[in-house]
Amino acid sequence: MSIVTVQLGQCGNQIGFEVFDALYSDSHCPQGLCSKRENEVYQASCKERFFSEEENGVPIARAVLVDMEPKVINQTLSKAAQSGRWKYGQHSCFCQKQGSGNNWAYGYSVHGPRHEESIMNLIQKEVEKCDCLSGFFIIMSMAGGTGSGLGAFVTQNLQDHYSNSLKMNQIIWPYGTGEVIVQNYNSILTLSHLYRSSDALLVHENDAVHKICAKLMNIKQISFTDINQVLAHQLGSVFQPTYSMEGSYHYRRNPLGELMENLVPHPEFKMLGIRNIPQMSENSLAYSTFTWAGLLKHLRQMLISNSKMEEGIDWQVRPPLSGLPTLGKVSLNRELHFNTSIANLVILRGKDVHSADLGGFKDPALYTSWLAPVNAFNVWKTQRAFSKYEKSAALVSNSQFLLKPLDTIVGKAWNMFASKAYIHQYTKFGIEEEDFLDSFTLLEQVVASYCNL
Amino acid sequence: MPAHWTKETALKGRGHRSLGRRWRRVSTRSVTGRGPSRDSTGAVIGRWDPAAAARNPRKVSASCMGRRRRRVDRGAAVGALPEAIAALSRTLPAGPSPEIFRRAKFDRPEAAPALWQLLFRVLSPLSANGASAPAAQEAQVRVVKSELHSQGYPRRALAQLPEDGSQGSRELLLALAWLLARGPLLERLLAQTRVRLGDEIPLCECEALARPGPPVPRVEADGPVDIRHLQWLMGKLRFQWRKLITSQQEQCALLGKIHSYTRGCHSDRSLGHLSVAETELLRDAEGGQQVSGGVAGRSPDRCTQRARTLGMGPRSFWGDLWLLCEWPGVLQSSWTVSVLDPGRSSACGLDAPPRSLLRRLESENVRLEAALHWRRQELVFWRWMDTVLGTCPPEASQPTFVPRIPERGAGEWELVARELQALQEELRGAAEPRRAAWEARVGGWGPEWSAVQRASREAVGLELAALQRAWERGGAAAQPHGPCRLVKSDAGASGGPGLRAAQVIEVLRSREACLEAVLCQLQRQCRQELARLAGALPGLIWILPPGR
Repeated sequence: MSIVTVQLGQCGNQIGFEVFDALYSDSHCPQGLCSKRENEVYQASCKERFFSEEENGVPIARAVLVDMEPKVINQTLSKAAQSGRWKYGQHSCFCQKQGSGNNWAYGYSVHGPRHEESIMNLIQKEVEKCDCLSGFFIIMSMAGGTGSGLGAFVTQNLQDHYSNSLKMNQIIWPYGTGEVIVQNYNSILTLSHLYRSSDALLVHENDAVHKICAKLMNIKQISFTDINQVLAHQLGSVFQPTYSMEGSYHYRRNPLGELMENLVPHPEFKMLGIRNIPQMSENSLAYSTFTWAGLLKHLRQMLISNSKMEEGIDWQVRPPLSGLPTLGKVSLNRELHFNTSIANLVILRGKDVHSADLGGFKDPALYTSWLAPVNAFNVWKTQRAFSKYEKSAALVSNSQFLLKPLDTIVGKAWNMFASKAYIHQYTKFGIEEEDFLDSFTLLEQVVASYCNL
Repeated sequence: MPAHWTKETALKGRGHRSLGRRWRRVSTRSVTGRGPSRDSTGAVIGRWDPAAAARNPRKVSASCMGRRRRRVDRGAAVGALPEAIAALSRTLPAGPSPEIFRRAKFDRPEAAPALWQLLFRVLSPLSANGASAPAAQEAQVRVVKSELHSQGYPRRALAQLPEDGSQGSRELLLALAWLLARGPLLERLLAQTRVRLGDEIPLCECEALARPGPPVPRVEADGPVDIRHLQWLMGKLRFQWRKLITSQQEQCALLGKIHSYTRGCHSDRSLGHLSVAETELLRDAEGGQQVSGGVAGRSPDRCTQRARTLGMGPRSFWGDLWLLCEWPGVLQSSWTVSVLDPGRSSACGLDAPPRSLLRRLESENVRLEAALHWRRQELVFWRWMDTVLGTCPPEASQPTFVPRIPERGAGEWELVARELQALQEELRGAAEPRRAAWEARVGGWGPEWSAVQRASREAVGLELAALQRAWERGGAAAQPHGPCRLVKSDAGASGGPGLRAAQVIEVLRSREACLEAVLCQLQRQCRQELARLAGALPGLIWILPPGR
C-alpha cells in the first residue's frame, strides 16, 4: 500500500528529501544481515510504498512539493536528480514567486484558497499512480507561514476530498528560543486546526534533535542538513517494512494504518513522539556492539523519564508502585517526572530480533488505568538490519511527553494574545479573535486530557 | 450380489411405482405363499401384511436365483439398486455407504448415526459449510427434527425418536426419501456447493443476514467503565472500517487490471476475459500443467507448450499470456513484482491456491456424474423404498399435518381486525380533544400562526411522502439473489444476459438514500434527547468535542 508524501514549505521540502534519501539508501544497503531473497522482498516492499516506477528504471518518489518560494524546491529537485539513484517527478511540484512572511493567516486564507485547485490536482495525479493508497504523510513546520498555514489548509482539504484515507502530519516543533516572533501564534493555530482534520500528529522537537546531533553524533557545526538527517533516520526506522505478525516472514502491508489503529484511535489523544536507539555517528558505529537487553532497558527508561536520547537519562524516575493510584490530576506547577503512556509501539530491527525480551514494556504501571498493556503495547519486528545498525530499536509513543512544551507554548501565546500583540496581522487576512479563542480552548482541552491520564 | 436384494425386489411389485404385469407375476409366484396380490394396485401406507414380512426370507433365494437367469432385465434391475444408492450417496454431502441404507431398512441401530448426520448436513447446509467443529449428536438430532417438522413431515414416529441418535434408522431413511421426493433437493445442494471460477460479487445481503455470525463475546463490566476506553474502541473500529474500504478499492483496481489485460483470452466469447481464479490457474506451473482448452482458447498445442514454462516469473508470465492471447498492449511495465507476489493473492480475493481449486473441481465433477447416474437409476430406488415403507409397523392413521394456519384461523383474524379497529377508535378519541385544545390555545395568535401551521403541515406531508418513497424503493428492485460473476465488457457492447453495472449502482444508491434518511432521523432523535438531558441540569455547561 502506498503513501503519498506532501512536502510543504522550506522545512517540509528539506526534510522530505532527506527522508526519501534515507529510505532509498537503507533499502539498497548491502549489509542487510539477511538472505538475498529476503532483501529483495524488503526492497520491493519499500519501493512500492514510497516510490513509483518509470520506464528507464529510476524510481520516482511519491511526493508532491509545495512552497511559495522557488529557491528551496529547486535545490531539492536538483539534489535528488544529481544522485542518480532516485528522483522527484518532473511535474510534482508547485511553487510561486512570493513568500508568506511567516504569517499563518496569509498562508491559510490567501495562499490556500488561491492555489487550492492546482495543489489538489497535483495530489490527485500522484494518488492515481498508486494501486492502493494507504494514506498521506504531510511534512510541515509549525512556526513558519507557508508550512503551517498552508499546511493546515491542505490537510483540511485532504480531509474533505479523501475522507477515507489516513493522514499523518509530521510537525517540526520550533526551537524554544526561535527567531520568529509570532511562532507561538502560528503554532497554536496550526495545532488546533490539525487536531480537527488530521488523524495523527507526529512531532519532532528541534531542540531535542539538536541535542542529539551535538551529544551523540559529535557534530561541531550543526546545520539543518544534519538535523534533517537525524530526523529522517528516525522516520525511516519506523516506516521501513516489518513482519506482519509474530513468526511470519511476510512484510506488513499497511504500516500507517496499523500504527494509527494501535496508537491514536482516541480523538483527544493524537500526539505522537519518536525515540530511537542507538543513534551515533558512522565512525563510532563500527566499534560498538549492543545487546537487545541493554537497548530495551535504555529505551524503556527514555520513555519513563521523558528523555529524548540515550545520554543523560534520569535513572531515578520509577513507575508508580502498582496498587497505589496513578498520578492523575497532577498540577503543572510541579515537575512532572513520570511519563505516563497511553499506547506504545516498539519496532525492532536486526540480528536475533526474536530473542528480544519486551516484558519491561508490558508493565501496567507504565500505562494509563483505562487501557491494559495487552491493548496498549504493540511490537513490530524484522531481521533485516536498518541502515548499517546491527541492532536498532524505535519507539513511537502516545504519551505525556509533549505536555510541558505544549503548555509552555499555549502559555506564551496567551500572554501575547492578552496584550493583543501582532493580532492585526492576522485579522487583516481573515483570522479573527474568535478563531484564536477557539484554538486556545481546544488546546487547553488537550492539555487537560493528557494531564488527567 | 447378496441374496436378500433379490428377495426384496421380487416381493413387492405393488404401488404406483410398479412397472407392469411382469412384476406382478413375480409377486404372485413368490414363495412366501401369498395368493395373487389383489391389493397390489395403489400404494397404501401401512397396509402391508406383517405376517409375510416375518417369514424367513432365506427360503426365497434359491428359486429367485433360477428366475434371475431367465429374466435378464430383472437381473439387471436388481444389480442396479446398490449402484443407484451408491450414486445417490456420492451426490449427497456426507453420504453413507449402500450398506447403511440396507441396514436402515431393517431398522438396525448401527445405521442411525450416519443417517442423522446425513440429514443434518442436508437440512442445514449453511452451518455445515461454516462450522469448524461438527455439532454434537443431540444438537444434530434436534436440528433435524425441528427442520422436518417445520417443512411438514407427516410421520410422528420421527419426532419421538430418542435424542442420543442411537435408533430410528428406518424412520430416517423414510425421511430422506420424503425430502428427495418433495422437491429438487439434489439440485439445490449441488448449486449451493458449486465451485465458482468467476470473480463473484454479492448483489443482495440475504445470505449474509440469514447466516448467524460468530457469537458476540459478552464482556461483563465489573465496576464503572471508563468512557475513554469506549472512545478508544470506537476509534479503532473507525480505523478498521477505513482500512477495509481502502482494501476494497485496491481489490477493484487490481480486478480491473486483470480483466483488461486478459481480454480475448477466454474461450467463452460472452465473457471475454479471465477471472482471477482462472488467471491463477494459468500461472501456477504445477497446478496448471494441463491448460484446459476451455480456459485459453487458441492454438491448444501452443498453449500446452507454453503452459510448461508458465509460472517462471512475472515477466515471463505476462509474455506468455501475451503470446497466448495475441494481445499487443497487455505487457505493461507498471505491473510491478509486488502485484504478483503470492502474499498479495489475498487482496485479489482468492480463497484457495490453484491446486486445491483443481481438486475441488474434480470432486464437483464426480458429484455431478453421480447425480446424472442417479437420475437414470432412481426408479429402482423408489421401488425399493416402497418395500422399506412396507416393512414399517402400521401406524395409527393420522390426519395430515399441515403446518399452516389452523381451521380456527379465520376466527382469529377477525379478532385481530376488531382489536385494531378498537385501537384506532381509542387513538382518535384521545387525539381529537387534544387537537381541539391546541387550536383553542393557539387560535388567538393571528395570521402568522396559520402560516406556521401551513408550513408545518407541508413539512409533515413531505416527510410522509419521503417515507412512502423509501418503502417503495426498498421493495422495488427485482434483483437476482446471491453472488453474480463480474464481467468487464466494452462500452458499446449490446446487452447480453445479466445486469448492467449502472442498474446495480442505481439500486445501491437508492438503498443508500434510504439508509441515510434513517440515519438522519436517528441522529435528530439523539440530538433531541441530548438537548433534553442538557436542559434537565441547569448548572452544567456542555462543551462539544473538537470536530467539524
